[in-house]
Amino acid sequence: MLLGNCGPFTDVAADVFCPFVLEIFYLGITTGTTATTYDPASNVTRLQMAAFLSRTVDGVLKRGSRRASLDQFWSAQNSTVLAITTVGSSPEIVKSDGKDLWVSNFFGNGSGSVSRVRASDGKLLETWTGADSATGVVIAMGRVLVSGYSNSQLYSIDPSQAAGAVTTVASGLGANASRLAFDGARVWAASSSPTISIITPTGSIPWTVTNVGGFGLPAGLVFDGANIWATDANAGTLLKLSSAGAVLQTVTVGAAPNFPTYDGSNIWVPNNGSGSVSVVRPSTGAVLATITGNGLTDPAGTAFDGQRILVTSLTGNALSLFKAADFSPLGFVSTGASTNPKAACSDGANFWIALNSASALARL
Amino acid sequence: MKPLSRRKSPRRIAGAAAVLLALATGAASVLLGNCGPFTDVAADVFCPFVLEIFYLGITTGTTATTYDPTSNVSRLQMAAFLSRTVDGVLNRGSRRAALDQFFTPTTTNALSVVTIGTDPKGLRSDGADLWVAGNSAGTVTRVRTSDGKVLETWSSAFAAWSVVVAMGKVFVDGETSPGQLYRIDPTQTAGAVTIVASNLGNAPIGLAFDGARIWTGNNSGASVSIVTPGATLPWTVTTAASGFTNPWGLEFDGSNVWVADAGAGRVFKLDASGAILQTVTVGLSPRYLVFDGSNMWAPNTGDNTITVFRVSNGNVLQTLTGNGMSQPQGPAFDGQRILVANSGNDSVSVWKAADLTPLGNFPTGPAAPVYSASDGVHFWVSLANNVLVARF
Repeated sequence: MLLGNCGPFTDVAADVFCPFVLEIFYLGITTGTTATTYDPASNVTRLQMAAFLSRTVDGVLKRGSRRASLDQFWSAQNSTVLAITTVGSSPEIVKSDGKDLWVSNFFGNGSGSVSRVRASDGKLLETWTGADSATGVVIAMGRVLVSGYSNSQLYSIDPSQAAGAVTTVASGLGANASRLAFDGARVWAASSSPTISIITPTGSIPWTVTNVGGFGLPAGLVFDGANIWATDANAGTLLKLSSAGAVLQTVTVGAAPNFPTYDGSNIWVPNNGSGSVSVVRPSTGAVLATITGNGLTDPAGTAFDGQRILVTSLTGNALSLFKAADFSPLGFVSTGASTNPKAACSDGANFWIALNSASALARL
Repeated sequence: MKPLSRRKSPRRIAGAAAVLLALATGAASVLLGNCGPFTDVAADVFCPFVLEIFYLGITTGTTATTYDPTSNVSRLQMAAFLSRTVDGVLNRGSRRAALDQFFTPTTTNALSVVTIGTDPKGLRSDGADLWVAGNSAGTVTRVRTSDGKVLETWSSAFAAWSVVVAMGKVFVDGETSPGQLYRIDPTQTAGAVTIVASNLGNAPIGLAFDGARIWTGNNSGASVSIVTPGATLPWTVTTAASGFTNPWGLEFDGSNVWVADAGAGRVFKLDASGAILQTVTVGLSPRYLVFDGSNMWAPNTGDNTITVFRVSNGNVLQTLTGNGMSQPQGPAFDGQRILVANSGNDSVSVWKAADLTPLGNFPTGPAAPVYSASDGVHFWVSLANNVLVARF
């Protein structure tokens, strides 16, 4: 029974372990020690284990992605094949609710609007009005929350209602309120005033606003499941904040860090002034890598789709893709001259990019 | 070569190692910990990891109360751990798990059926809706996947055959000679499709997108056409004819387009210009292909088998037989499972993609299933004779 016959392997017995060996062979997790041997009794070194675990993660994420089940193993290779949806003027941010995309248009309808776009086909479904200088967007509490840059307000949209004017739920945010994040209880806003505002939803309007100062130039916000992190574009830092907004940890990144994204393990920080991306481990604050090249010129927005990180280069008019698991470059694609891709998100299957100077969304 | 050595008194070895470890660290009080059911695992920083893989079923322990924490892992044991890891993550991470849908319909009465009104052929999901080519009526029907409601029907898609969703549009090839490629803008009101090219090779029935261009497999044309999207219509078409006999389906694996040549009994890996880079000999009459992220599945309609091969090297991993297959074709992958439509005996055969094991054969009723697609939750199967689409 020593020499069995388990698939191609002559040294694996056709016993209860054979199906396991075959599965990791069919999945490409192992290639065998030769074409016909697996060497089943040998121990596994830590080096070999790294290969096995890395291939396991890659295989699971690839097969488990929505793209695999929709038979979409391609990525758009050029600007001609990008799907374009026209939205309002100067789209700033795009976020997905899982089905539709919500886009803040800074000058939409003259003074600011919010567009709702169906992700499956890119159809513009609704335009919400009255969102003066709409900038930040976060989808939480069954609502779409949007910041008003010029009037320091927080708007709310009830997506179950007919489109109309947005509702102002808070005022007195820091001046020039831009990016938003949600921590499970409160909404955070980064303002170039420079302030970080913490907005606590209450039973009635207006909601409570607490403004925290002491920053250089808060730009982007991201919640990692435990803490809010903010980029400080003046200081070139990524800041871990306490629930009161106090700085718990300072991580030095590149120049003018913009709008970061968390991938479940690491935070990706686009350094607009350095043409690079810093990858930071939130558990320790260590910078794991500083990535350049692959089309990065002046990185602004980032997004994660479960496998890949997308980074926009604002005036470089490019979208750079990276494999999130090992930071390797996956290529880049142009969005077309003077389109200025500013922010991006994933709907789980495709990336969507706000083309700030083209009044449009692009789908990758 | 000796078999598994861990069977030799693991508890005693583990205990001895733990003593050494405890002496070395001076932590004499944590010798026998209490980590879930395991008496030989200390209640330290490693305990949560051990418990997680126990709760997930990745390990069963060496006995009901021991884990044998200090022994090495043999490659055989590792295979079990990794295989169970893959299965557990895919099972839990699927949309079906989140929707509490662990079932597969096993009878025809349990199938959802949607009347399309023409003989449906190729179909694809855009993530929310299903787009179904109606061959005889020249229609493309849009069906909402969440509830099976027919939303709209597009017309003038003469001899519509296969569907691909790309570039925010829906593309359908017309099995005409010369062949045609139709485009639908799904954001617009349903109407006539737009012809973007009408000089494809004869009788295109296979269709794929590679991130920049649309490919067709031209059945009677013995060729592959490559359509490059442009700013104006018609779009540019180049056709490669060298080495093909009777191309059917196409599939893109992230790097290359592959085509099933039913007449040749082969699957070809193509370069960017359509030239053959590699030939994989499969069974009789392979018609359509599906890629699962690692491997290509080629159902062989002529001999009731499926050839599974690795795209990285073209090596055939296994030729699957049985599981109720009869004229298998039109395969689909949902992230965990492969489904093939059996037009010969009105059923579908389902396989676990990770280990190529059969998961069963299920009837579709007297309806000649031909093609299938996944929307990420369900499989949808076009049933040619009964003008229906069934949901698995």
